[in-house]
Amino acid sequence: MRKMLIVDDESEICEFLKLFFEERNFDVNTAYSGEEALESAKKFKPDVILLDIHMPGMDGITVLKHIKEADSKVKVIMVTALETREKIEAAMRLGADNYITKPLSLEYLERDVQEKVEQLARSRDPGLDRMKL
Amino acid sequence: MSFYPRRLFISKRKKVLKGFLLGASLFLLGALSLYFVSAIAQFYLPTDWLSNPFIPVFLMALITIVAYKPLDFFFSELFEKYLFKKRSFVHIVLMNLAEELELVLDLQELANLVVNTFGEVLHLKTVALLVPERQDGVFQISAAYGWNISDYRRVAVGQDAALMELIRSSGPHVLVRNRVVRALEWRDANRLAHDFDLLRASWIIPLMVKENLVGLLAFSAQEAERVFDEADFQFFRKFAHSVARKIFNALRFLALERAHVELQDVQSRSIQATKLTAIEQLATGLAHQIHNPLTIISGKAQVLLLQKDRMELDERVHQVLTTIVKQTKRAADITKKLLMFSQGSGVAKEWLHLDQVLEDTLSLISYQTSLEAIELTKTVGPNLPVFYANVQEIREVFFNLILNAVQAIGSGGKVHVTLGYQEKERVVEIQISDTGRGIEKDNIDKLFNPFFTTRHDGLGLGLFVAKQIVHRYDGSIRVESRSGEGSLFIVRLPYAEHAAMTGAVAQASVPAESRHLT
Repeated sequence: MRKMLIVDDESEICEFLKLFFEERNFDVNTAYSGEEALESAKKFKPDVILLDIHMPGMDGITVLKHIKEADSKVKVIMVTALETREKIEAAMRLGADNYITKPLSLEYLERDVQEKVEQLARSRDPGLDRMKL
Repeated sequence: MSFYPRRLFISKRKKVLKGFLLGASLFLLGALSLYFVSAIAQFYLPTDWLSNPFIPVFLMALITIVAYKPLDFFFSELFEKYLFKKRSFVHIVLMNLAEELELVLDLQELANLVVNTFGEVLHLKTVALLVPERQDGVFQISAAYGWNISDYRRVAVGQDAALMELIRSSGPHVLVRNRVVRALEWRDANRLAHDFDLLRASWIIPLMVKENLVGLLAFSAQEAERVFDEADFQFFRKFAHSVARKIFNALRFLALERAHVELQDVQSRSIQATKLTAIEQLATGLAHQIHNPLTIISGKAQVLLLQKDRMELDERVHQVLTTIVKQTKRAADITKKLLMFSQGSGVAKEWLHLDQVLEDTLSLISYQTSLEAIELTKTVGPNLPVFYANVQEIREVFFNLILNAVQAIGSGGKVHVTLGYQEKERVVEIQISDTGRGIEKDNIDKLFNPFFTTRHDGLGLGLFVAKQIVHRYDGSIRVESRSGEGSLFIVRLPYAEHAAMTGAVAQASVPAESRHLT
């Protein structure tokens, strides 16, 4: 079972995303702040993180930096209310794997998460790729 | 102007007359003194001294030397007073003019007055007044008498011209073409002659204030044989000195005016920047605040719509959920558009499809107009070229003018936007007409002033900002309106030729998708 961490200061957003991905067989944890997210990332060791950029206190970009420093393999999808080019560019430079804009299209998000999970599987088990071929 | 005398100054004929009178009186004086001397000499000298021819010649020469100057002066005055009575009249007219100029601060008006009066009073063929209007020290003809406008607009004398070198070394003397050209070596003489010819001048008076050259008065006479004498030149110098000080003042006034305009421009830009920053902050804050609730509403509906392994949703519920997702997306798009409008004030210029920019603007405003029952329509003409501009600025122009039209209506009416290209004049023309209440005559002039508004809740910056931007593109903006009958705003943006060529390349290389502004 893949593990997912959802980080957003809006608890309602975390809630419906958790509901949605649990239904798709993910083990989901939620965090409502940057600090909480870092702690959870350490203990829970998620495969995929959905990370909101705009948060009070420690923002998503800083969280991303710390997470990628600790483990560069973990897949991080940034969630942003609005595409401010500089912010998104900064996130991509820091190693974010993709970004998605609010309001979210869950269909799109699901596809993207699946893709990241497959990438993870390939990188952790190169044999899987060969078997597929 | 037959009021003025035709022949004022000493012609050659009159010079000969004056010379003759002078010679005759000198001879008479000589003869008299010779007679007088000889009468005295009879008592003291040997009687044969008169047989020596050197003595009378010496005496005559002595008398000529001593008496020439006072006599010449005497005759000049005599001529002045009795033969050329009218010359003093010319002096009075010109010096009066010099005094009148005290009150004229506008350089152009001043220059016109000087050349026209100077030309008319002296019956000259051409007069040109050159002043350094630009910052680079190049002298250009500001006003001319006896010239075609199209001719003199092109004439300019740079600091490196031979004429300028001469003036720098000779000071404020009247330069007489034949005299100075003859006195120089052939190469310098040629260059100088060229400058004189360029200004169509036989005489040039430098206008100086202290050490500074502030203008050149170049002129030529109708009749070739007309000559000015030293007395005239002396007067010209006096006149030039007086005019120079007025030009000096007018030039300083002009510089002040320019600085003022520049300041206004800077001020208006800073107002615009402040306004944009305020909107940007507001929009960013709003967008963030609105997006989260929208995300929650839309997300929860999607969770239900996409849920698996549950019994199928009731068809009506499915429909409601779909509508919720769609409408939240629409609301989010509005905030995005709002943000798009406020951001990018620092964006560089790019090739724009003006019809696309117009479409974006209309779609934003249409949210408001549909509420107010205002019909918003557009016509886009053929052959509209891609236009090189800052997208943000062009949007501002469209937005402010259309919003102004919408607000002029209040509710229930029509706003029509026409976007076209005038191929002959190479001008993009935007017309915005409304069926609103129109503009009162008194307000039309003030319309584009900053902070001018007729609404309680208006800032009075929209039209002002639009005008500033249009001017930045060397365009023009004007309004036709009658109170109660609606208004028509016309914006004209010139389209540069070199831009058209690169524009075609840009148009060809831009794929269709990227035409949409993000």
